[in-house]
Amino acid sequence: MSVSELTLLVLRLGFLLMLWLFIFGIVYALRSDLFGQRVRKQQQDAAASAPPIAFAAAVPTPVPAATLPPAGASATALTEQLTGRPAAPPARSGPERATATNATRLVITSGPKSGTEFPLTSDSVTIGRSGDSSLVIRDDYTSTHHARLMLWNEEWMIQDLDSTNGTFLNGSRLAVPTPVPLNTPVKIGATSFELRR
Amino acid sequence: MMPPSNSRGTATDTAQRPQGAKPGRVRRLHLPQKLRNLELFLLLIACGINAASVVLVQLGALGRIDTTLVLLGAGLSVLVLCLHVVLRVVARDADPFILPIASLLNGIGIAMIYRIDIANNDAGWESAAVRQTVWSALAIACGIAVVLVIRNHRVLFRYTYVAGFIAVVLLLLPLVPGLGREVSGARVWIGIGSFATFQPGEIAKIALAVFFAGYLVRNRDSLSMVGKRLLGMRFPRLRDLGPILVVWALSMSVIIFQRDLGTALLYFGLFLVMLYVATGRLSWVLLGMTLFLGGALIASQTLQYVNGRFTNWLDALNPDVYGASGGSYQLVQGLFGLAKGGLIGTGLGQGRPDITPVPQSDYIIASLGEELGLAGLFAILALYLLFVARGFRIGFAGNDDFGKLLGVGLSFVVALQCFIVIGGVTRVIPLTGLTTPFLAAGGSSLVANWIIAALLLRLSDTLRNQPRLVV
Repeated sequence: MSVSELTLLVLRLGFLLMLWLFIFGIVYALRSDLFGQRVRKQQQDAAASAPPIAFAAAVPTPVPAATLPPAGASATALTEQLTGRPAAPPARSGPERATATNATRLVITSGPKSGTEFPLTSDSVTIGRSGDSSLVIRDDYTSTHHARLMLWNEEWMIQDLDSTNGTFLNGSRLAVPTPVPLNTPVKIGATSFELRR
Repeated sequence: MMPPSNSRGTATDTAQRPQGAKPGRVRRLHLPQKLRNLELFLLLIACGINAASVVLVQLGALGRIDTTLVLLGAGLSVLVLCLHVVLRVVARDADPFILPIASLLNGIGIAMIYRIDIANNDAGWESAAVRQTVWSALAIACGIAVVLVIRNHRVLFRYTYVAGFIAVVLLLLPLVPGLGREVSGARVWIGIGSFATFQPGEIAKIALAVFFAGYLVRNRDSLSMVGKRLLGMRFPRLRDLGPILVVWALSMSVIIFQRDLGTALLYFGLFLVMLYVATGRLSWVLLGMTLFLGGALIASQTLQYVNGRFTNWLDALNPDVYGASGGSYQLVQGLFGLAKGGLIGTGLGQGRPDITPVPQSDYIIASLGEELGLAGLFAILALYLLFVARGFRIGFAGNDDFGKLLGVGLSFVVALQCFIVIGGVTRVIPLTGLTTPFLAAGGSSLVANWIIAALLLRLSDTLRNQPRLVV
């Protein structure tokens, strides 16, 4: 049996086509990696969007988010309220820093899932819209790889991964990796969270 | 002995796991294994393409379909499906693209080697394609063993210095009299009797990646934090230059004693990239490249074989160089083959890749380029690109420093090896003998690359298997 030239030509073009289809199949399956995760439509109230952190107190939640002071309260007052002892002089030392030993959980304080807790281990916590982040936040304001919480010398630091809309620690936008104090809101997109004991 | 950031992770990992993984476990009972199903789908397509390539080789070279080699294609498919089933059980969340890409490259490699066998009239145990299939079986078995034995990549962190020791021993093995073999000038092989030759340097690159990752996680602070600023870059202190000088000396000794330029470049490049990723400082890369280029220039002036490589590269089409013994004949034949292939190639089994010396190992890229053309060669390069991109992605998304560095190191070593070989064949850089990962005939290379694939699968599984919360 012999095969005609034409059949061979068709077969070899078909083979190249199959190779490329395989590659484009993989690229299609990877599209969220290449073009970013799709934004999930949130409930209308969340679409009104990004409630300032101070309003977290108004959201009924199972966690003691109500202990949050109204807007403008200083972070020292917060520590005082929570620990029950007078805070250190406000000049140099702010609230107690979150370390590997004193912070055990991350609590969402505002946004659609407020009240949810997330256990902290010694691993870093990646935050972003991408499906393999530890804390996946799917809203319009979050970047695919937005920020990262990590332990540096036993102390929790937050690092903004060059996100579009920024990461806010206690209201100010992060430029460099910054230590996270306990019970201080970190805001990413429409969600804010705190590190707690 | 462990740095602060990792000590807790290693010590309490098992204790924390059940608590952290609980929500995930419950969820998985209800959800189908989406990632594994995607992998199976892609794997079946890859096996189909592999079978098609063998059939096309037979149609093109023999003009008929022969059933003998169907066994080869089927054997590889069964093996990769075994690995897939193992992943379903022990690494459910592993990356779904690595296995299909590696299988496809391996299968195309076997088809091409089989095509060269037909041209050389090799059959049975003489046939390189049969041996390549047996080696693939062994390599995939090694991969399965790695996935089964290493349940968490952090285990490797404990064996950092053991890995470094193993790497040095493997590198030195070919120099042991009676055990080492010299093949076409390079002393990088070991053999027992006349049978079973092996290139221990291929395995050494994995051990080196583990060692570099562990070492840099432990010591990177002293390598990155201190030093003088000069020209807008922070240069390291003299006393911190120890590690880079040791690795440099190691790769220079590979050039001098084993006469293997490519392997030296591979090891040094691996160290440099991992150092850069660990410290984030460009000054290390500049320093390292200056060191290596300086060393290579001196070697090209003093060592005969390195000098010959440079002449062949710069003056390849000169008739004197072309005709000389050890000249550029092979390189230019490869280029002619690539030119003959054109845009869509001569078709599998219809070119003459066997004219080039060693068309099934070092020159498999030229053989594939001739028969599949530019379109096919770019498809193969795209497969490598995707493989390496997945590795970097795993490293990027990792949440422990050791895993990050290991992922980047392992995938970069594949990328660099591709660059050295394909760059050499296409005359971008001087030609050095290295194997094209997964494609080229050669057992040690296959074993090493399947172990790399298995380690990347394990890394990606640990990565997705962490506690997570979706808002």
